[in-house]
Amino acid sequence: MTSERVSPTRLALWRQYGREMSVGVFLVLLLGYFGTTPGFLRADNLRDILINAAPLVIAASGMTMVIIAGMIDISAGSALAVCAVIAGFTARSGASLPLVILLPMLTGAVIGAVNGWLVAFVRIPAIIVTLGMMSVLRGGIIWWTRGEWIGNLPPSFSAVGRGEIAGIPLPVLIALSVVLAVALLLARTPLGRHIYAAGGNPVAAARMGIPVRRVLWLVFTLHGVLLGLSALVYASRFSVIQSNAGAGFELLAISAVVVGGVNIFGGQGTVWGSAIGGLLLQVISTGLIFRRVSEYWAPSVQGALVLLAVVADALRTRRARR
Amino acid sequence: MRKAFPIILSLTGAMLLLIACGKKQAPSEGTGATGTSTKLVVAVMPKLKGIDYFNAVERGAREAAQELGSIDLTYDGPTEGKVDQQIPFIESWTLQKVDVIAVACNDPDAISPALKRARDKGVHVITYDADANAEKSGREFFVNQATFEDIGRALVDEMASQAGEDAKVAIVSSSPTAPNQNAWIAVMKRYMAEKYPKMQIVTIQYPEEDQGRAFSMTQDILKTYPDVKGVFGLSSVAFPGAADAVRQAGKSGKIAVVGLSTPKSMKEFVKDGTVKTVILWNPVDLGYLTVYVAKAVAEGKLKPGDTEVEAGRLGKVKVEGDQVLLGPPMKFTAENIDQYDF
Repeated sequence: MTSERVSPTRLALWRQYGREMSVGVFLVLLLGYFGTTPGFLRADNLRDILINAAPLVIAASGMTMVIIAGMIDISAGSALAVCAVIAGFTARSGASLPLVILLPMLTGAVIGAVNGWLVAFVRIPAIIVTLGMMSVLRGGIIWWTRGEWIGNLPPSFSAVGRGEIAGIPLPVLIALSVVLAVALLLARTPLGRHIYAAGGNPVAAARMGIPVRRVLWLVFTLHGVLLGLSALVYASRFSVIQSNAGAGFELLAISAVVVGGVNIFGGQGTVWGSAIGGLLLQVISTGLIFRRVSEYWAPSVQGALVLLAVVADALRTRRARR
Repeated sequence: MRKAFPIILSLTGAMLLLIACGKKQAPSEGTGATGTSTKLVVAVMPKLKGIDYFNAVERGAREAAQELGSIDLTYDGPTEGKVDQQIPFIESWTLQKVDVIAVACNDPDAISPALKRARDKGVHVITYDADANAEKSGREFFVNQATFEDIGRALVDEMASQAGEDAKVAIVSSSPTAPNQNAWIAVMKRYMAEKYPKMQIVTIQYPEEDQGRAFSMTQDILKTYPDVKGVFGLSSVAFPGAADAVRQAGKSGKIAVVGLSTPKSMKEFVKDGTVKTVILWNPVDLGYLTVYVAKAVAEGKLKPGDTEVEAGRLGKVKVEGDQVLLGPPMKFTAENIDQYDF
């Protein structure tokens, strides 16, 4: 193994932030490119981009922990739908706002805890567990709602997704707080170091006395909580909640994380990179419309970016090994 | 790993149990077919049971059966929109020798062999809502709720009356490969060129089946093309997404939003004036017409080559080739939208 995993030297740190910086530079270049089209760099458009990216950035923050821990979650889109529908039903029933906020997060936590338990303690590979969970949730939600959309939402609910504090949209504030919290957790707490260790080299981590299984379980549960929050922000922007919301959302979240320079095999990366990655995807989606590029190309461009990021990562790792 | 094994085993067991329970959805023996021989036994199957749309179809079918009096109506189907769950119903109905089977098919090809076997046993087969493969299934008629032509024209006419005949418009569709949406768009383009040559489509966006994307894409369209006067929402996901974006941009009433969806899902936007008209056929009428056509086919009153069929309160309904046409789509507006619960 390389020396950077054993001792996080200053060089390794530079190498890690180097990634985020290159994604950041790419984002600035893109903004410059799209900025030449009239209206793109106007405040209201940038504001919309930030708001629209918020649910993705929140979910990508949780996904960052999962991927750094060497895991994956492809049930995120279905979990988002379940939490969004629960948020909608709770809000419509006239429950108090704290309950409307807590219940989807609790639901997410339960889903995450089940995923985490199966992965960490039953030791089934994460991709299989979450693949199963994806279908169970997706089928369950259609059975439960019978495909119906949830409308008649009270104004207090919409305030979450459309409100603002001191001129800053609430979704953006929430996303920013989440990124900050996850960054602190990953960089400054024992749990954070354990997550890196579990993803970097689980055998070594276990020998060092790190409770790897408990760490994995906790990571999935925390990720679930953040998915619930993401669903709340997502759902409260709209007048009606789609019962099959979030189709393909898990891929967006994983893309954001990978584009942001987090190693898909675990052990390396930061949540800042994922946040920039999430913004990047939203900027591309909006920018292509402004540039009047055929929408047919948008998925290809997004896919190409992910490939580019992974290839760059592979080359970097190989060079580091030499 | 050893610890995990029993758990995996029990999970597998639970899964098998679930599958076994699922099998119970197959029809129970003896429903419907045991009626008196003088009554015509008609079995109608939805794509799936329990959703508003097909509940409305059922209501129409029951209305027609009651009106006609001599019909023994069975309405049953799967709880998921899956073709493999539809086939057992058809096989069971074939064994019971019902007189007519009417199906809304979840897959045109996969269901056809089962329908063919029913035909071979002397059961009349018609389709409605979604057709089977006409050749392979041998089905006699398809009750078509709305032709692409009718829908496309109705959408464009509605847009012209709301946004003006020279309006610049945008389309928010479904996925780039969705066959219905693409067929509608083709009709819309042709019809626009014929009747409203000054109307112009500035962009077509494809949000797939994602409300959030439909929403943000419409936002972007409004900013990129400030002179757009109207937005088409061509799916039950795109339409509310587009309407929401227009409403939140404070452009309700200034930018026309026209599209296809169920009235129930659009009620909020119609009430606050963001959407003036929702275009769709009436599923109650579709169920009603299907039972009338079933009876006419069974009694030999509707044969290939006929150009119309008598259908109770719908009057004489047009027949083209092997398709019975429900007629022009319906418009749901603030005045009538409360009457519909699908």
